[in-house]
Amino acid sequence: MTALDRAARDHKGRVVAALAARFRDLDLAEEGFAEACARAVTAWVPTPPRDPAAWLFRVAERVALDALRRRAIRAGAALPPPDPELNAEELLMADSALIPDERLRLIFICCHPAIHPEARAALTLKLVCGLSTSEIARAFLIPETALAQRLVRAKRKIADAGVPFEMPGPDAWAERLGAVLSTIEIAYAKAHEDAGGAGRHAGYAREILGITAILTDLAPQESEVLALAATVRFAEARRPARIDSGGMMVPLDRQDPALWDKALIAEGRLHLARALALGSASARTLQALIHAEWCLRRSLDEPAPWRSILVLYDALLELRDDPVIRLNRAVALAEVAGPAVALAEVDALDAAVLADFLPWHVVRADLLARLGQNDAARSTYDAALQLGPEKAERLWLEAQRDASGQ
Amino acid sequence: MQYMLLIYEDEKGYGDKLDSPEIRDITARHMALVGELGSTRISGAGLMPTATATTVRTTGGKQAVHDGPFAETKEQLGGYYLIEAPDLDAAIAIAKRVPLRVDGAIEVRPLIVH
Repeated sequence: MTALDRAARDHKGRVVAALAARFRDLDLAEEGFAEACARAVTAWVPTPPRDPAAWLFRVAERVALDALRRRAIRAGAALPPPDPELNAEELLMADSALIPDERLRLIFICCHPAIHPEARAALTLKLVCGLSTSEIARAFLIPETALAQRLVRAKRKIADAGVPFEMPGPDAWAERLGAVLSTIEIAYAKAHEDAGGAGRHAGYAREILGITAILTDLAPQESEVLALAATVRFAEARRPARIDSGGMMVPLDRQDPALWDKALIAEGRLHLARALALGSASARTLQALIHAEWCLRRSLDEPAPWRSILVLYDALLELRDDPVIRLNRAVALAEVAGPAVALAEVDALDAAVLADFLPWHVVRADLLARLGQNDAARSTYDAALQLGPEKAERLWLEAQRDASGQ
Repeated sequence: MQYMLLIYEDEKGYGDKLDSPEIRDITARHMALVGELGSTRISGAGLMPTATATTVRTTGGKQAVHDGPFAETKEQLGGYYLIEAPDLDAAIAIAKRVPLRVDGAIEVRPLIVH
């Protein structure tokens, strides 16, 4: 990776956000940044600037101002005042500490409730995290052209419908923050589904760690933000233990806690402690607590914390009753009250809603196998495999299926 | 910017007479909002029920006139406000204040600027 590639990757979100806030135009911000990167290819030889982010921002700003001036000439409108020209030395010495950090504002624009929920996540990953269209298309399992169209439509909606480039006021904060956090949850769920994290999700989960870090820096008093940041850290901490040496998925209760990332868990605990101190228990803090409970385990010799997990799921169900939470609760229930009780709960859920949801098939298959209903278990594993899981999950499901009834 | 707020409700809830208590009640609530909005509201009106609608349809260059709205839907366009608002959030804030009998939807659409 060249100095420019690294700078573009690390600073894109910050620079594009500052440009978007300055010009109130997402396309102009992105085009300005792209042109600045193109100019850097020759300008950074032989001496790269002291502060690459500041250089990219100042050059992109000038590119955008030139574009605005050309637009004004074409429209026969009055020219905007000329910008102060920077000389090469000033550019080399520019300081990124002077670039306003507008990333939170950009996140709120990308996650406006008036934008289609799937487009919100894609737009945030593109503009704030700096992922390329093809990286996002791979993560969302849709063709690149379809994603590009979705991004174009979302940006046009922002411009044409008059989505404001302001932070929402205090009265709208709760509703708007909810959309931001849901967007991040959707984006993270995509990254988390794949235990191996190989190929198309590589680096993507790390971006979510980054974006939640930005949010906790910028909104350190919001318990929901802290709770989500904690959950993402606990979940990512376990990634090294989620596949075995053969590339097969390892279920949570069989993961070796020695492989978990202790530093990330500690960071998660700090966020969770602050979240609990700031607000009353919410669905998000309870979800973080469930992850935290697992992360307390020190070795496979210690019993898995199923009883506490079940209690936490009971509490969560009081706050947010949905089929996915009921399904997760059933997994803990099977360990505490036995597979028959859990299967009855799972079969009471709406099968039509869950038909395409891989974990539903997986949980049912496991419970059927434990109850000795081997034919039903095998066909349910086959149904799960029909949904085309990632390699790590596929290997595990095939092994489970083949072990049923042997 | 100018935004059109299009009001969609199930018109059956208003009965079939124009002076039903439901119509009188919703009209009073609209008038109250009109008063509150002042010059933010450019114009607006309620529409007669879809039973009064006539559609002129052009297909392949041929025009035909027929009875009824352009599409049969569960909720129908029943009225509109045309407002001036600085941005979408301001328009949404006003849309949230538009009275509905029970359930319904307000579609917020910016006007094309020439």
